Amino acid sequence: MSESRPAQPRVSFAAVTPNNLGTVRKLNSVLFPIKYSEKFYHDIVQPDVEDFCQLIYYNDIPVGTMCGRVEVKDGQAKLYLMTFAVLAPYRSRGIGSQSLKHLIQTTAAHAKPKINAIYLHVQVSNDEAKRFYERHGFKEVGLYKDYYKKITPHDAWILQLDIEQKDAAGGNP
Amino acid sequence: MPPAGIPPSRALPLKESGLFKEVLHYYEDRQLKKGLKTADAILKKFPKHGETLCMKGLILTHMGRREEGLELVKQGVRFDLTSHICWHVFGLIQKGQKNYEEALKSYTQALRFDKDNMNILRDAAHLQTQLRLYDALVETRHTLLRLRPQLRQNWIALSVAYHLRGDLAESKKVLEQFENIVKNVPDYDVEMSEILLYHIRVLEELSEYTEALALLDTHAKSRMIIDRVAIMEYRARILSKLQSPEAQQAWQGLIEQNPDCYDYYKGFLSSRAIDLDAVTDDIRPGALQILQDFVQQFPRAAAPQRLALSVSTGEQFKELVEPYLRTRLQKGVPSLFTDLKALYRSPEKRDAIESVVHALLDTLAHAPDAPCPSSIDPTVYIWTLYFLAQHHSHLGRHAKALELLDTAIAHTPTLPELYMFRGRVLKRLGDPYGAARWVDQARLLDLQDRFLNARCGKYRLRAGLIDEAVEVFGLFTKKDAVSPAQDLEDMQSLLYLIEEADAQLRNGNHAMALKKYLAIQKVFDDFEDDQFDFHGYSVRKFTINIYLNLLKWEDNLRSHPAYVHAAIAASRILVKLHDDPSMASAASDSHLSGAEKKAKKKAKKAEKKVQEEAKKAPSSTNEDKGLEATAPKDEDPDGTKLLQAPEPLERAAKLLKPLQTLAKSNIEAWVAVYDVAIRRKKYLQAVQALHHAHALQADSPELHVRLVDFKRRCAPNPALRVNMFSDTIGPGSSLSEKPDESVATVVSAFLPKLLPDEMSLEAYNSQFLQKHSTRGDAVLAAAKVSQALGAPREEVEAAVFNVLNADVELDIETAVAVDAFLSEIRSPREEEFRSAAGERFALSTVFVPHAKLPELRKSALHVPNVAEEKEEVIS
Repeated sequence: MSESRPAQPRVSFAAVTPNNLGTVRKLNSVLFPIKYSEKFYHDIVQPDVEDFCQLIYYNDIPVGTMCGRVEVKDGQAKLYLMTFAVLAPYRSRGIGSQSLKHLIQTTAAHAKPKINAIYLHVQVSNDEAKRFYERHGFKEVGLYKDYYKKITPHDAWILQLDIEQKDAAGGNP
Repeated sequence: MPPAGIPPSRALPLKESGLFKEVLHYYEDRQLKKGLKTADAILKKFPKHGETLCMKGLILTHMGRREEGLELVKQGVRFDLTSHICWHVFGLIQKGQKNYEEALKSYTQALRFDKDNMNILRDAAHLQTQLRLYDALVETRHTLLRLRPQLRQNWIALSVAYHLRGDLAESKKVLEQFENIVKNVPDYDVEMSEILLYHIRVLEELSEYTEALALLDTHAKSRMIIDRVAIMEYRARILSKLQSPEAQQAWQGLIEQNPDCYDYYKGFLSSRAIDLDAVTDDIRPGALQILQDFVQQFPRAAAPQRLALSVSTGEQFKELVEPYLRTRLQKGVPSLFTDLKALYRSPEKRDAIESVVHALLDTLAHAPDAPCPSSIDPTVYIWTLYFLAQHHSHLGRHAKALELLDTAIAHTPTLPELYMFRGRVLKRLGDPYGAARWVDQARLLDLQDRFLNARCGKYRLRAGLIDEAVEVFGLFTKKDAVSPAQDLEDMQSLLYLIEEADAQLRNGNHAMALKKYLAIQKVFDDFEDDQFDFHGYSVRKFTINIYLNLLKWEDNLRSHPAYVHAAIAASRILVKLHDDPSMASAASDSHLSGAEKKAKKKAKKAEKKVQEEAKKAPSSTNEDKGLEATAPKDEDPDGTKLLQAPEPLERAAKLLKPLQTLAKSNIEAWVAVYDVAIRRKKYLQAVQALHHAHALQADSPELHVRLVDFKRRCAPNPALRVNMFSDTIGPGSSLSEKPDESVATVVSAFLPKLLPDEMSLEAYNSQFLQKHSTRGDAVLAAAKVSQALGAPREEVEAAVFNVLNADVELDIETAVAVDAFLSEIRSPREEEFRSAAGERFALSTVFVPHAKLPELRKSALHVPNVAEEKEEVIS
């Protein structure tokens, strides 16, 4: 009996849109101890952030999400990564790393505006997450006191990755 | 001077006669405005000139002024009854109205006055085909061929006409003659290729296989037949029929072309004397070996693997099914269960699948809240859970299915299939409201998925949420349509029409239900009309083979489940209406919900707008609106008029008529035919229907009710018994006063075969009950009969409550029917039954007290939002 070899697991991405927003809501509801406002859901489907607001698929099933917004201050643009997570059973198989690399590449290739850095908050109890980001070049640049109001601990690290500018067209690491 | 033979009323002076030619010319060129002006110029001087009046009428019809046009044409015909032009125009108009019988009559008239008119002959041939008047068709095609033998299509058309009449030998003769005289066929001529394939088909149908094969081989070699796949398929098929040793090689060639075509494997095996549909133990090993060889040869093809599952048994099946399941679960094939469901007819295979998949699940199981071990692919785990949930639900183990689905959803909450199927399980458990809510959850995960959307609409209809269903359906309908419902009807969505009709019926709105069922009938009428254009097109383009298949399909059109269902359901409403005419007057706006009223208002507004726009458009444009009437506006938006229309029984009989030949094995159809026939006093037909039903399922509870009904209607007293036979079948018979002895004889000869003559009906009923006392549907039927026989209500109630006994098999559908019956006889114990049934079907919601229904319906629309319960909020 012949048998086809199990296919390589596929990781793929798709922009968040009003149509698949229900999937994002579902993922957020199980992934984070936080309720996101309607404004959050409104902002992440805007066309200008579609590169940074993505669903993550594993074998064509949505298993994670990452949503960022662009913040411009003093002529410097930064990407603030608001949410980024993968469903528990799907962790430890490189999906997060692939996704973050994908995001870093897209950010580096982004032209209007050019983005100088990606930053995000990690709750100070979450060492694992911190190590994950540090593996991808993020550095702790500060502490946000009482970032969380209800969940403890209240504080959050601020992690940042400076982006080396590449050609707008280039996506090679 | 007019030429001889032209009546003076038709003759026109030179100038006007020139103008008339211009009118014809303008019409041909569709210069409608100019044509109209010229016609008016003639009519100014000769207002009673029939042919001009007809042409003007025709032009007006094309311009959309249909009623005015028709009136003029009728007038014109009256002024000149011997003009072929007048009759031809009249025929055209009738054809446009899809009134084919009358159109053919007009064409026949036209031909009397111009018997060799090619256009009229050709149109007549199309009408004769549409009406299946094949004798007349042969004659018309003959005339056409005689007139124009140099036209290829006239030869083929005659051959097809013979073929349709069942005269294959003549059909073949015509083709042979044609092929003898045809010259200058270009290379690679598709038309000639099709004609030759048709010729071979005729030979094949004549069982002249050797000749067929010779013809095929000759023309395949000379490249006259250019359809390579067709050559191979014809060849393999004919060789098989010849039982030639070459057949096997021919099928092998086809399999190499397409290793996923089941028919090819079937053909190959038949060439090895194996009938795939009836594999016996003797030939099983051989058949399996052949299939296994094909699996080796075509490892990527699914067909031989799947066929091997059907053929194999026992240990061998287990060995084969394990890798089959595993590879597909690894790939994540959502339809896997549907693919394998057919194997479940064998309990042995069913159990083998269960044990294989459960064993697989054991190797995959892991916690939902921690990373899955690297040796396991979490998506395989999910698809395995999904498969098993379907497996258990299919076998009625719904609780187990729900448990599996909940495990899967806790692990991966983003797969719509899981939510959809959870909804389906709830539906099977009798909870249409929960089902609708879960399917809506699936839809919310991906709003652009049409399938999820359609499912959601369907489930809302199942939950009686009609307005809300139309709302979701509306997300994918045309935005400029009058309403989503109208658009879906225009798109001939049978799924929607059936589900909405059923939902309306469940909600007690007979008018709307009838309206939607009749809309389904209309869709099938349209399907039938749609073939008309092909009578001309297919012969002209020589696509004969596919055309003949189309005609066969059209002849069996109304065997489609949607038609059968709609016809039966509509006939039931019409019968009810006959038994209780007050139903029609009760139907009014009173039971329209607020939203329905709003929708009605909106529809009216939209309609008005359309009309206004139509008015604004200048009426004298040159735009050709064609001869076919555009859809008239809906004069009866809530179906009341349909309900109030006269002669409900005649309408029901017409709906059911096709079923008597096309749904012969459907017992419900025969019961419906009986219900209508007995009320129309068509006793022969009634008894025939009972007889058919009896042959299908002698102990059917529905049949039992009808048998007693028939006996009661026939024999309450001897005087009536004679009286009832005063009607014979056939129209106009009710006028005859004399009892028809022959009908009476047939009926009294048949009746004892169906139920014993000497026994009282009460005794007969209790005998039936005793025999089937453990069947819920039989208990209900017996109770219905005793109610009809006049038993006191308390007794009937007590009898029907027996369905709740522990030893009685009761499914949800029957329980719902019991509830409906109690409500029908206005039983004070209905709520008591509902609460008992609610306990029996613990997860169901269909039996909740009536007062709680609105709340439940609302719950079906409210998808819970887990996030709402969280403390931390980020804006």
